[in-house]
Amino acid sequence: MTASTPTPTSEDAELRAARRDRVFDAMATVGLDVLVLGRRDSVAYASGARSLWTAGSRPYGPACVLAAATRSIHLLSSWDEGVPPEVPFAHLYGVTWNGAILAGALAAIPGLAAARRIGVDALSPGFERMARRLAPAAELVPADDLMRAMRALKLPAEVARIRAAVAVAGAAMEAGAAVAGGGPAAARAAALQAAARRGVTVPTSGVSAWPSYPDNGARFHLDVGLLVDGYEGGLGRTLPGGDGDAAVVAAQRRLVDACRPGATAVDLRRAVPAGATRWRVRGSGMGLEAPVMTDTRGHADVIEEGMVLSVELELGGRRRRDLAVVGPGASEAL
Amino acid sequence: MNGGVGGDLARLLAERRTDMAPIDAGRMGRQRHARLQAQLARQGVEAALLLHGPNVAYATGQPVRGVDVSYATFEHPVALVVAGEDRPHLLTDRVDPTLDVERHPAACPELDEGAADLARVVGEVIGPVAGRRVAVDEQTGAMLRTGVLEAADIADVSQVVGAAKLIKTDDELACIAEAQRRNEDAMAAIQDTARVGVTRGEVAGAFLAQLVELGVEANLIDPILQPMPRRVADGPRTTTETVAFPTGVGNPTFVEGDIVWVDSGIDHLGYASDFGRTWVIGRDPDAAERRLFQRWCDVMVAVLDELKPDVTGGDLCRAAEAANGGGRPWLPHFYLAHGVGVESAEMPLVGTDLGPTFDDRLVMAPGMVLVLEPVIWEDGVGGYRAEEIVAVTQDGWRHLGGGHAYPPFA
Repeated sequence: MTASTPTPTSEDAELRAARRDRVFDAMATVGLDVLVLGRRDSVAYASGARSLWTAGSRPYGPACVLAAATRSIHLLSSWDEGVPPEVPFAHLYGVTWNGAILAGALAAIPGLAAARRIGVDALSPGFERMARRLAPAAELVPADDLMRAMRALKLPAEVARIRAAVAVAGAAMEAGAAVAGGGPAAARAAALQAAARRGVTVPTSGVSAWPSYPDNGARFHLDVGLLVDGYEGGLGRTLPGGDGDAAVVAAQRRLVDACRPGATAVDLRRAVPAGATRWRVRGSGMGLEAPVMTDTRGHADVIEEGMVLSVELELGGRRRRDLAVVGPGASEAL
Repeated sequence: MNGGVGGDLARLLAERRTDMAPIDAGRMGRQRHARLQAQLARQGVEAALLLHGPNVAYATGQPVRGVDVSYATFEHPVALVVAGEDRPHLLTDRVDPTLDVERHPAACPELDEGAADLARVVGEVIGPVAGRRVAVDEQTGAMLRTGVLEAADIADVSQVVGAAKLIKTDDELACIAEAQRRNEDAMAAIQDTARVGVTRGEVAGAFLAQLVELGVEANLIDPILQPMPRRVADGPRTTTETVAFPTGVGNPTFVEGDIVWVDSGIDHLGYASDFGRTWVIGRDPDAAERRLFQRWCDVMVAVLDELKPDVTGGDLCRAAEAANGGGRPWLPHFYLAHGVGVESAEMPLVGTDLGPTFDDRLVMAPGMVLVLEPVIWEDGVGGYRAEEIVAVTQDGWRHLGGGHAYPPFA
């Protein structure tokens, strides 16, 4: 057996510290004594912990508890593997099927019982009951918007991670394109294996393929969405001949260019050519993030500097999806 | 594998493996809807609003996707089951035309504007919610802010769905068996790739590529191929002071003699499989490792000999402990056995930290599904872990899956 955990670098520690500070600072701005997180991506953002990936939603539960008074992080984990050093072993509470055991572990977290405001990223009836018993004076406050707004604006180190993740997605796409003549299944399999050779086997949206109807199935769309070192790499092309269609390449360039600070969904719509059959611009980071902007969604949202966006466009049966980082004046496709 | 180590268990499982009737998805959906309706009536719940993927799949047949939680929550379909109605309501833009549901446009309840869309549909379907008993699995922050269920008498839907799905229909059992068979086929095809000098990622990648070849749409868990320490003290520190599994982190390169615990799960028509085996890298198991496997087989045979309607979870735990010569042969943070269905682990749970009283009150009944996953651990030698899925029948049990052997042990 060889070492199974990558050696943590100082860069990891700095990024985790920066994210953690953001979360505690944001808690302070809205007066949260405690923040309870249940979603994998939120937990990873706040704590830096890595854990086994499972698909889809999980039943809601308190997977991570942040206490403002002590600026301490408490984590649902039965072991310290994947847990960063700033979360000491004493702050772990193990997986349990027993609500009483879980309640006992949470009750021991300093500051929870006396909390006046507890933020939650979602809420189940079971956890609401438990929270009202553990912290009778506390008001339960939705804090998903707090996390979402914070996560939408990336730190420079996060952009570097996303850049590296896109490189893995690119290698997967290249492998898929190389066997595109063999059809969508062959391309998917090759893309999956290319990512896996780089140690990446966790999907965000996954590696999917579907026919391009105007081409009567002669071409297909291949889309790659993978989680690399905690961040999403994404890319979409139509195969065979991913870069060969000048019209869609130019249209995508215009849409990426329109993703400037201050732009709204209306501005993006104007940048999309009339013949486009689909477009979507949405946040990307530790998975799908805010904002989500389409013809029908995100009309109150405004693009800001520091966002990383998944920009997607389909024109004449050719589809492109690229991640782009929004700079001070324009955005750059990664 | 007809004799030698593991022969008794293999024969026993083969005798109890029966052909499944073809899956009728329409019938399966109607029977699940009837069970949900019965629980709504029994528990005095007027409507169930479902966001959690497996719950939506149970209520409507909407397939689950092998995507990350962030996609599942931003894009997830929502189900609404109203007491007394013939069909469930489904809010999604990814329409499967074969589903027998009342369709509504997708709401995105993760976002405030989407929660407002959801409130509108709920209002159209059941009218004002104030004072009404509505069961939910979870509410998003946006739903709380928007007040989608404000002033409703909110109940926990896990009581409704949990009771409905505890006993599986024949179609559900056939789905689980088919999921397990496909999972086993994919593993059988790629086990040879787990060699000295190969990384976990490469073997997992071969498995994922194999799933594509077999037409499996959704992989439900990052394939676990975890090289295990020989002593608990050599592994990560755990809250239970036993071995850590499954950690799901890192990309180790396999070396000769690695004991690798393997675990994977895929979907078939909304139902999960659960594959578990122990592999040895680059050589045959030695005598001490074979002893672990033999004891694992003995525990399995003892539990299966006990399993039939009306025995309790406690009875199964005691049979396992006796065959192990005392001491609980399973991981303390998990269980001796768990159910499987639309969730990869659901009731019945046997041998958990819910405690012996819970186990003694858990009575086996026909249609329950158990994934048996004993673990034999001998500190200094290591551990053997594998899993088999069985369904309780009128007179005992039957084996679900295709009868995958235990290479390189047998």
